[in-house]
Amino acid sequence: MSELAEALAGLNEDYVTKIVQRKVTAGEDPECILAELRQGMDIVGARHKKGEYFLGELVFSGEIFKNAMKTIEPRLAKNQSGKEQVKLVLGTVKGDIHNIGKDIVGNLLKIAGFDVYDLGIDVPKNAFVKKLKETDAAILGMSGLLTPSFEAMKETVEALKTAGLRYKVKVIVGGGIVTELVRKHCGADAWTDDGIKGVEICRAWAQEMKK
Amino acid sequence: MLKETMTRKERIISAVNLKVPDRVPVAMWMIQFPLRYKGIPQSLGYKDPVVTIKALTDTFHDLGGYDGQIQGDSIWPSSSWRISAAPTPMHRPGQEGEENEALQAVEREIMTVEDYDKIIAKGWNGFCEEFLPRVTGRSLDKIDASQKKLLKVYVEDAKKWNGIDVPVMFGASTCDCQMILSLCRSFSKFTFDLYRIPDKVQAVMDAMVDDLIQNVINDSRATGIPWVFFPLERGSGAYYSLKIWERLGYPYLKRMVDAFVAEGLTTILHFDTDWTLNLPYLRDLPRTKCICELDSKTDIFKAKKILKDHMCIMGDVPASLLSLGTPEDVTAYCEKLIDVVGVGGGFILSTGCECPIDAKFENVKAMIDTAKNYACQIFPQ
Repeated sequence: MSELAEALAGLNEDYVTKIVQRKVTAGEDPECILAELRQGMDIVGARHKKGEYFLGELVFSGEIFKNAMKTIEPRLAKNQSGKEQVKLVLGTVKGDIHNIGKDIVGNLLKIAGFDVYDLGIDVPKNAFVKKLKETDAAILGMSGLLTPSFEAMKETVEALKTAGLRYKVKVIVGGGIVTELVRKHCGADAWTDDGIKGVEICRAWAQEMKK
Repeated sequence: MLKETMTRKERIISAVNLKVPDRVPVAMWMIQFPLRYKGIPQSLGYKDPVVTIKALTDTFHDLGGYDGQIQGDSIWPSSSWRISAAPTPMHRPGQEGEENEALQAVEREIMTVEDYDKIIAKGWNGFCEEFLPRVTGRSLDKIDASQKKLLKVYVEDAKKWNGIDVPVMFGASTCDCQMILSLCRSFSKFTFDLYRIPDKVQAVMDAMVDDLIQNVINDSRATGIPWVFFPLERGSGAYYSLKIWERLGYPYLKRMVDAFVAEGLTTILHFDTDWTLNLPYLRDLPRTKCICELDSKTDIFKAKKILKDHMCIMGDVPASLLSLGTPEDVTAYCEKLIDVVGVGGGFILSTGCECPIDAKFENVKAMIDTAKNYACQIFPQ
């Protein structure tokens, strides 16, 4: 494990900033710096999976990553950032204004290299459809923390069908009270109540799409 | 129907005292569901507590009655502007939201890091003298007058429930320091604080906890209802490590509960999200003085194993099941709860959190009826 990855995985914020600054000043390839940061985030994810890290560590490591990116992003060549190159539209559905879970997953997906189009909260079904058409995104992630969000999720999936998009868009629904029963009700492809699991599902889809 | 030999109040108290009642008691927390079920816009219920209490009472009767009313009506009773909660901005039906949308809290940073020093210097109530007018746009006098008016309505509504032998299990409410600060700072900012400035956060909690306790005691004396409703969410083992919990969560929770017990109050620890990791700590709280209320994210069967001879468990019919499931699904879920968690007593059947706004009436009725009818090893007929 590199020094930078270790510092990020250990949530050593000041040290991450210092190493990134040092590497940038020394003219190191920003792609390599990014790869090390991603390695650190992978370790955070692995520790979360093992029960050593919790939501707090995910959120704080994401903040450290985001701040490090501010330094290296201007130096990254366009389209050469090691991204999954998979576009994903994300939002909390109509009638629901909860954003914590959505924001956590959105950040984790960005870190994992997805092109995330976050439409925010209280998003109408037509806005999801419009953004999917506009971006040609392959994945739709819908979030909700209230039971009425289940109906809004279902209506959005129906709207995707009407727009002729359903066959080419994978749909995942998520939130604290989302279950398999909710997935079936909405006609989604997957569900999650855990950010890391959500990212894993999207990553697996991205791998399939590349084949 | 199982033979009933206890009053509703006796049934609830028996469960809290870890005894085996005549049947499993069932308690409900519902405000938004009765309005939706009765075809009343949420906006109307939000504005007028009289409309809500009528919908709630009518729904109680339509459901055939139940044993405990967790919140007496839609009011969070407080005897003054001194609240043990975060003055979180709300997304209100008919105002920020549509007429029939659910009431929701807005996640926004209403407290800065600089405010921490003010709390350390002045305590929670001292800080709130400046903070509440700043975030609500209302003077303390206006807030005070409004709270007193609502308190009067709440006490009257509680008397009505008591008049039909339905104990109200909510005489005062409080959040813990972690929840209040997280709601005020916003979840992400507060999380950063926990890692960047934990000593400062601890100093803030030390400065605020006694005011939170005193506010609850004042409120419970004003309502005369010896129950504290204590929502906990943002400190669970799903959010933070046990290291953080042991330093910035549990010590304050224990201090608060101990003070409530000394005042003769029973506390409903309303645990949203997954608290499975934290369960063993609850054995250190006073025996038979709290209810551990779970929302289906915590492993309720594990909770039973850990707390069976120590603390009553309440819950945990999932929101998704009540909204999307069938009465048969709900009945099967409740029967399993009674079979496993009901063993030896110390169990109250309930929805895990507030009954969902769009729960199916027949599902809620199936839940309540299961408690009344389910003949099993524990309650043979």
